[in-house]
Amino acid sequence: MLLVPCPNCGPRNSADLRYGGESHARPDPATATPQQWRGYLYLRDNPAGWLRETWYCRSGCRRWFTLERNTATNEFRTPPMPGDKRGGKA
Amino acid sequence: MAESPAFESPVVRSYESSSGGPLMLTDASATTKWLVRAETGGAAADRMDAPFGSSRTAGGGAFVMGSRPGEWIVTGPADAVAEVVAGLDGVDSSEFVTALDWTHGRALFLVTGTDAPRMLEKVCSLDWSDAMTPNGAVASASVAKVTCDIARYDGDSAPTYMIFCDRSFGQYLFDALIDAGDEFGLAVGLPNG
Repeated sequence: MLLVPCPNCGPRNSADLRYGGESHARPDPATATPQQWRGYLYLRDNPAGWLRETWYCRSGCRRWFTLERNTATNEFRTPPMPGDKRGGKA
Repeated sequence: MAESPAFESPVVRSYESSSGGPLMLTDASATTKWLVRAETGGAAADRMDAPFGSSRTAGGGAFVMGSRPGEWIVTGPADAVAEVVAGLDGVDSSEFVTALDWTHGRALFLVTGTDAPRMLEKVCSLDWSDAMTPNGAVASASVAKVTCDIARYDGDSAPTYMIFCDRSFGQYLFDALIDAGDEFGLAVGLPNG
């Protein structure tokens, strides 16, 4: 069982959440090139290591949130916020 | 507040009911329920005075639950609930607040008894120990695969859990709770609310 640390509800079974996939910055629709849209929509990094992901707490607080997960160990940590040197462990 | 039409319970099957027992399941879906949404930390949130995960009893027996961030469920006697909701009109704020009568759209079941936490642990992944979910605690979670809002409200009796779910799942969830409580001698109470 994967325990996902929801920032509102605390640790929850991943079955109570929906995986939103890798977290990407959305390009500006006014200036994005087709290549940038393709990259945003279809291309994923899929690393064996730390990956920034979005999750939806569908059975709890019904909020989207962002976490970093180590895809090799399933360890979670909060992502760095603007101004942080490094996010703390969730 | 407009007058509601006659209530029809989502639990349509008949059960042999009991007036008491060590573990009881009661259909209280007819109880008045309102949903309030407002900004977290705003003036309306201050008026509701039940942060996410907690609850309080208001005047007249209304029960205010902080069911999600910026979201509250108010339940109890119709007049008392109406008073709580009407109190939001007096909030001096420009924030957007919604209040919706959920009475006909949500099922409400009560599980009462000392074995209620053990029964719930069979169908829900939350920790129902006193340390984690004391009297007054509120949580949203999957119960028998149905997304529910759950509040613990013991009153003067044994642990009581109020379980809210969408009306369309009511009959299924009622049967699932009966099945989960069977090994603890669960009895079905007379509908109330």
